[in-house]
Amino acid sequence: MTIMKHSMMTAAVAGTLVWSSAGAFPLAAQQASTEKAAAAPIPRMADGHPDLSGVWWRGGDIGGRGFGGAPRGTPGAAAPQRPTTFSDLYQPWALAHSKVLADKHDPTVHCMPTAFGTLNVSLFDVGAVGQIIQTPKFVVMLTETFHGFQIIPFDGRPHRDDVPPSYRGDAVGRWDGDTFVVDKTNFTGDTWISAEGRVSFHSDALHTVERYRRLDAKTLEIEATLEDPKVLTKPWVVPKQTLQLAPFDQIYQLACSDDDIQSFKDATPPAISGKN
Amino acid sequence: MKGTVSAVFAAVLIAVGMGAQAWAHHSFAAEYDMKHPIEVHGVIVQVRLENPHSWFVVDVKNSTTGNVDRWSFEAGTPSGMLRNGYRPGVIKAGDEVTIKGFQSKDSDVRGMLRELVTADGHVYGLFGPQENR
Repeated sequence: MTIMKHSMMTAAVAGTLVWSSAGAFPLAAQQASTEKAAAAPIPRMADGHPDLSGVWWRGGDIGGRGFGGAPRGTPGAAAPQRPTTFSDLYQPWALAHSKVLADKHDPTVHCMPTAFGTLNVSLFDVGAVGQIIQTPKFVVMLTETFHGFQIIPFDGRPHRDDVPPSYRGDAVGRWDGDTFVVDKTNFTGDTWISAEGRVSFHSDALHTVERYRRLDAKTLEIEATLEDPKVLTKPWVVPKQTLQLAPFDQIYQLACSDDDIQSFKDATPPAISGKN
Repeated sequence: MKGTVSAVFAAVLIAVGMGAQAWAHHSFAAEYDMKHPIEVHGVIVQVRLENPHSWFVVDVKNSTTGNVDRWSFEAGTPSGMLRNGYRPGVIKAGDEVTIKGFQSKDSDVRGMLRELVTADGHVYGLFGPQENR
C-alpha cells in the first residue's frame, strides 16, 4: 500500500468518521469521576509498590469521544516531525523485503496478535484498550481484541528456558523505584510489531523493554525500547505514551474469526449462528 | 475467488478537526473503492459483532435482475462500536435498513459501511450510533 493510497483514503473518508462526538459515558459524570481520581493518591499494593491495576486507554475507544490523538499543533506552526517507526530502522535487506509485503500480509488479519502493539502501546496489542491486574507476585496484562494475556512475574526469576517461542514473548518484570520494568524475549518471528497499515515484520531476535509508571491515580506513562539485531540497524526508542484510567473496570471478550473474514471476502456469508 | 481477494480489512482512524494526525489501522483503501460510493436498501440477514471488525449482512433486491443479492458490509471494531453505545440486538435479522458505503474492489456484493439508517430513522456509522454525536 502506498502513502498516496493512505492519503486518498484519508481524504475520502474524513467526512464520515468524526471522533469529536459523544461516547457511551455521560461527559459530566466522566469528568467528575476522572477529576476525583486524579486527586487521589497513587494506589499502592501491600508491598508498597504502585498498583498498576485498571483498564487503560487514550481517553476513548476507536471511533468515540475522547480517543486521544497526537498533540494538537499550534496554528500556523510547521507540522511536527513524524515519529520514527520500527520499520524506519530496517536494515537494507529488511527494507527490500518490506517492499514486497503489504497490508494483506499482516498476521492480525488472521486473528494473530502483534508482537508489540498498535498505537505504540504493548498493552493494547490490537485495539485501543487494555487491562492490568496486579497481584503480589504477578502483573497480568490483558488485551481485548484477540483475548491476549501476558503474565509478568516480578519475584526475581529469570526468563524461562523451557518454553517455546511465543507471539507475545516471555516476560519478566522488576521494580525500578516506582517504575515497573518489563523485559520480553523468546518471540516467534511470525507476527508484526503493530497493525497500523504499515509493514512491521520482525525476527525471533526481538527483545523489548518497557517501563510503566503511574504518574497519578488516573495516568499511566509508558516508555519502551525494542531491539532486533537481525532486522534493525539500531534499537527503536518508542515514543513515550500516556494513557488514562478508563471509567469502567472490565474489558470485553469478543470473538475473532478468520473463517468468517474469508467467507465475507468470498461473498459467501457463513451460516447463521445466532450471533448478533 | 478465494485466495485472490485481498485479505485486507480494517479501519481508518481519523480525528477530524482536532488537529490530530490520522492513524491508519490497516487500509480500507486497499479493499474498497473510495471513489465508488454505493447505497442499498434491504433487509438485515445477520449482524456479526466480531473482531477484528463487525459485519452487516443484508438481502437486497436487485432492480436490474429481479434477484435478491446478499450483501456484506464491513463496519468498525466491535469494542469501539459497543463503547460508543451500540447494543447487541438493536439491529437484527428482518430489520429494514438503508446502507451507504463504498464498493469493494473485488466483489459486487460487498462494501464498507459508512452509514446505516433503520426504518425508524436511527442512524449508525462505522463505529455505532450517530445520535448525540
